[in-house]
Amino acid sequence: MLRKIKPYLLLFPAIITIVLLFFGGLFDGFLKSLGYFPAIGETEFSLKAYSSLLQSDAFWDSLIVTIRIAALSAAISAILGAIVAVALFMIQETSKSRALNFWNRLFQLPLTIPHLVGGYVIVLLFMQSGFLSKILAAIGVIDQIPDFPVLVNDSFGWGIILTYAWKEAPFVALMVYPVLARIHKQWRDVSRVYGAKNRDFIREIVVPAILPAWTVAAFIVFVFTFSAFEVPFLLGVTYPSMLPVYSYQLYSSGTLVDRPEALAVNLVLALLTVLLGLIAYYFSKRWNVLKGWE
Amino acid sequence: MMKKNHLPAKIFLFLFLLMFIFLPFIPLVLTSFSYNWIWPNVMPESFSLSAWDYVLFENSSTWQAIGVSLLIAFIVTAVNIILAVPAANAFVRYPLRGKWLFEAIIFAPIVIPPFVAVMGIHLTFLRIGLTETIFGVVLAHISPTLPYVVRAAITSYSTLSVDWENQARMLGAGPFSRFYHVVLPHLMPGIAAGASLSILISLSQYLITFIIGSGQVMTLPILLFPFISGGDPAIASSYSLLFAGMAIVALLILDLALKRYYKKKQAAAAIKGVRE
Repeated sequence: MLRKIKPYLLLFPAIITIVLLFFGGLFDGFLKSLGYFPAIGETEFSLKAYSSLLQSDAFWDSLIVTIRIAALSAAISAILGAIVAVALFMIQETSKSRALNFWNRLFQLPLTIPHLVGGYVIVLLFMQSGFLSKILAAIGVIDQIPDFPVLVNDSFGWGIILTYAWKEAPFVALMVYPVLARIHKQWRDVSRVYGAKNRDFIREIVVPAILPAWTVAAFIVFVFTFSAFEVPFLLGVTYPSMLPVYSYQLYSSGTLVDRPEALAVNLVLALLTVLLGLIAYYFSKRWNVLKGWE
Repeated sequence: MMKKNHLPAKIFLFLFLLMFIFLPFIPLVLTSFSYNWIWPNVMPESFSLSAWDYVLFENSSTWQAIGVSLLIAFIVTAVNIILAVPAANAFVRYPLRGKWLFEAIIFAPIVIPPFVAVMGIHLTFLRIGLTETIFGVVLAHISPTLPYVVRAAITSYSTLSVDWENQARMLGAGPFSRFYHVVLPHLMPGIAAGASLSILISLSQYLITFIIGSGQVMTLPILLFPFISGGDPAIASSYSLLFAGMAIVALLILDLALKRYYKKKQAAAAIKGVRE
């Protein structure tokens, strides 16, 4: 008997912790988004928060901004990440393993930098009187501060996009590089025997090989950016803000009326991320991204 | 083979990687040492240590905030390890009914943003007096970090053969010494990797700490935020570098501790070998 329940006993502490702290929090938030809050005497359920949310322009603007920023961040970090992975791969072909190890560690540096610091790095680089603006002025491209485009705290969200592009590119590279590293030297030789040029080899072998891992990595960046708070809070504008920031603005606005609406935003956000997460999971399983091939 | 045109390509790659990694840090470092850096000068007119002096010595809350941040991160990580190792054991070594459900529960906080749960539980925490306490913040940091530690422990367990433990059992080792001498050394690198992630994630939390700590639990990100959102750039840069440095140093210490652990193990094994 004990043998049968032993694995469940081993699992129990971790499961109960997540169920209480995480799912308990989700459920607690869900009840309050329905207006059920016995502590202040509210015991009625209503969908008021959801209906007023779906009718507000602020919510839809926020959703559109969120999708746009997340998509652009994912696309740019995917391109940069692929370039980094290919660069590492080519350096690996010519240098010793120790040097490679050094490079490997070095380019992971942006990954270990906290998001707030990453955001501030982008502020100093790209603000109108920032480092790049100073360099452009020194070489005579621009004459005064307003000549430099507004890229930080702009309503399009370029500052946020630049931060994630820089911070997540190493992550994409980290997903793609192992796949590249498994492309055997012999494949190149075989392809040459059949008359393939460098370009053909890249198009017919390299690209199809890395495509699954690459797509899934970009998608993970998308989901992650979708629900991130710190960077848009620091680098965004008050309106339109990304969904997590919008929820926080509602939550901390001071009136209790806005709180159910803030929690409704959260629930919508949670549902969307679950949906996106399931899609990512499905394709990574189907394409065998994490296991690789022989 | 592809010898031609190699050098220029390689130089280009090096430059690209260097620019990608280092260029963004140049203004951060320069600003932290600058005094009144006016546009359009590419270099600050004068250098000064006053920002660093303020951050490291004048403002006494800096070291306190570092202490609180590290305390929370290490408690969270210790709890995570205690929860994750048995769970990973169950996942890898036993046939489980409804395994997918347990996995979905444990890994859900990776997909669903944890601040959603924290905002939901905030008022309940307030009622039972957990807000504004370090303990409350520790509880809030567990769900974003635990999944990563479990995943790392699962990876370690799946390369550990049951045969080794059976061998130890045949030689008369009890369950405790089997775990301590056979299982733990094998799990150590995986646990260390999971712990690194757990520490890193805990150290960089802003929103969750802010909601539950209500500004009273001063971790380094809470202390630094007002500076980087419109404060003095030199002080903000110094704090940012300190913040990034704290995370990296914490990871290096963990790495070093792991290496020492293995050295000790090796030394102990060598001494035993000599005695026999």
